[in-house]
Amino acid sequence: MKRTTRKSALFTAAAAAVLLAACSTPGTSGSAQSAGSQDLASPTAKSGTLSVITKFADPKYAPFFVDMARAYESANPGVKVDLQQVGDQPYKDKIRVLSASKSLPDVYFSWAGDFANKFIRGGLATDLTSVVGPTTEWGKTFSPAALKAFEYKGKNYGVPIDLDAKYLVYNKAAFEKAGLSGPPTSLEALLADCGKLKAAGYTPIAFGNKFGWPAIHYLTQLNTFNVPAATLAQDYDPATGAFTDPGYVKALEQFQSIVKECSNPSANGLSHEAAQASFLNGQAAMHYLELLEFPAMTSEGGATKEVADNWDFFRLPAPTDAAGDKNALTGAPDGFMVNQGSENAALAVDFLKFMTKMENAQKMMGQIGYPSAVQGSATEENSVPQQRAALEDMATASAYAIWLDTVTNADVANAFLAGAEGIANGSQTPQQVMQAVQKAAEKVKKQS
Amino acid sequence: MRISIERWKTWVWVAPAVALLVVFVYYPIVENIRLSFFSWSAFSASPAFVGFDNYVTAANDPVFWHSLWNNGLYAIISLIFQVGLALVLAALLEEVVHQRLRGLLRTIYFIPATISITVAGILFSFIYNPQIGLLNRALSAVGLGSFAQDWLGNPGTAIYGVIAMSQWQSIGYTAVLFVVAMQRIPRELYEAAKVDGAGHVRTFFSITVPLLREMTTLVVILTLSGAFLVFNEVMVMTAGGPSNSSQVLNTWLYHNAFLADDMGYAAAIGTVIFVITFSISAAQILITRRRRVQW
Repeated sequence: MKRTTRKSALFTAAAAAVLLAACSTPGTSGSAQSAGSQDLASPTAKSGTLSVITKFADPKYAPFFVDMARAYESANPGVKVDLQQVGDQPYKDKIRVLSASKSLPDVYFSWAGDFANKFIRGGLATDLTSVVGPTTEWGKTFSPAALKAFEYKGKNYGVPIDLDAKYLVYNKAAFEKAGLSGPPTSLEALLADCGKLKAAGYTPIAFGNKFGWPAIHYLTQLNTFNVPAATLAQDYDPATGAFTDPGYVKALEQFQSIVKECSNPSANGLSHEAAQASFLNGQAAMHYLELLEFPAMTSEGGATKEVADNWDFFRLPAPTDAAGDKNALTGAPDGFMVNQGSENAALAVDFLKFMTKMENAQKMMGQIGYPSAVQGSATEENSVPQQRAALEDMATASAYAIWLDTVTNADVANAFLAGAEGIANGSQTPQQVMQAVQKAAEKVKKQS
Repeated sequence: MRISIERWKTWVWVAPAVALLVVFVYYPIVENIRLSFFSWSAFSASPAFVGFDNYVTAANDPVFWHSLWNNGLYAIISLIFQVGLALVLAALLEEVVHQRLRGLLRTIYFIPATISITVAGILFSFIYNPQIGLLNRALSAVGLGSFAQDWLGNPGTAIYGVIAMSQWQSIGYTAVLFVVAMQRIPRELYEAAKVDGAGHVRTFFSITVPLLREMTTLVVILTLSGAFLVFNEVMVMTAGGPSNSSQVLNTWLYHNAFLADDMGYAAAIGTVIFVITFSISAAQILITRRRRVQW
């Protein structure tokens, strides 16, 4: 082709691209449907296609939700449930892609805290107070704290599906060998116990921090212990976050001590699951994990017989001079929300009611080991004694400390995450980390 | 008149390909540049125009500059290994290695390139595991235990660990490309050099390297743009951590778009990546246009 033709071809293509771009609207505005009330009462004639997305693609947990979809379809022949299951980590970006392209499914999973609030502020969540609020029949079946976690400005937007909390599990035989009579009751005692366990030849706490969130769970609890609750709530709100309380630095220093005294070296290079393996085979004496992971502590889950028969749990103990809430427990429910633009809102609510009725809540506990948010769903048939004991303990907590990486704005959460990784490998000081957090909070305040 | 009809016919044949290019390549590029002037996220009701704010943010963001630095490191190390060393490897395979072993060795070197990047990344995560990984164990076995460390968990070594994996995977690929190009070089040239008394090294620099200029250009373009477009390796092995020490431009873009809910800033980073890779390719093609190899 001659030069001129090549040039004109290039020009035409470029012009076409610019024209196309100019014609497109800059990201269509929020939901087409008005924010007015939708009729959420159970429809008499159930028909249509319901789209659902969950973060439970893991083959350990996926079957329960597939079973729910199939069971609902067979109970309601006119309905098709389009179930999409994504993994835990990829869910965070998948759901944002769906939100940005305005193709959010009717029912979607959400963590509690600012993660859920983002959808609510963006007009993407239906107000469910009329069907699941604390005074409604359905709402009363849930644990009140679980319902409250999905409340925003007095209205309920999410249906809690499971309960989760963070506990230290410990190997009773290891404790005996090290001469410890029982779990420590204060943070100082825990640090001292770590020394004794090390002397007895165990890794005191198995800690794997790849991807950074395990350290965040420690910080969630330590922040709650060291910073007064009112200050904490104000700081976690993106519009008013400041993070200047000295309690935050104390929390980071305590985390630093835990890493130094108790953890195995090279925590950043180990995944949480790899660290868990060293607890399950008896090399480590303790491990900080979620209630949802308790099923791993059985022989089927991968524990050796000695460990499976001989373990128990306790809360991460508070420091004796804690300025915050000593009785708060790191944990949060997970839940589902209904897309505000959905035409099948009533059907979505009906499906969620189906999934959380007592027999299905018990089935969830038995099939995948997830404690349901429905009160009284853990029985002797579907759970091990430690799970029931943990649920009772959760009920005595004064408040839930929601995970630091979902409770507050993503920028602040990421500053904490990067900072915690730095503390874990000794490359940053607590003061440096808080400086970065304060900077992120400033930026977020300006934007909101 | 007749020429115009001929031109139109040409256009008709080319139109579908041009249409695909416009829709899937040019339009997204232009749209991305446009979106980088707005501040928006997946949850914002409507984007807000902010002019060059996102670019100013990038200029003031230490992680952005560190990512650029990591990409630069990636480029330099990849050039050394995937062009330099691969060239030497190809020459060895063609000149020095026995005929029978040649095919077998080529296959062995090429196999890593056929493994999915994600699988290779996970494989190397196991090798780098500080407790049970092969690398630390091997170092202890030969008495170099003091070098053993948390390769991917240490901010100083994380990115190098990822780069090393990438070299392992791609050296065979570029070496085979060079082998293919080398086989086109007429044997008479080598025989003439031998008659003149040239040794292996002299032959390599005076005959092989100059005549491989086109292939070298291609491999350099591939390697450089690959280095600035890298994403999978970093994401699978470290996700940009620890403490953002192994972030590259693409992973930082992903982080801002999907984890920090700042799509405008991510679009700005995307534009920067586009400018860099476009400049590299344009410069390369312009420089080498006049130096085609003629037999």
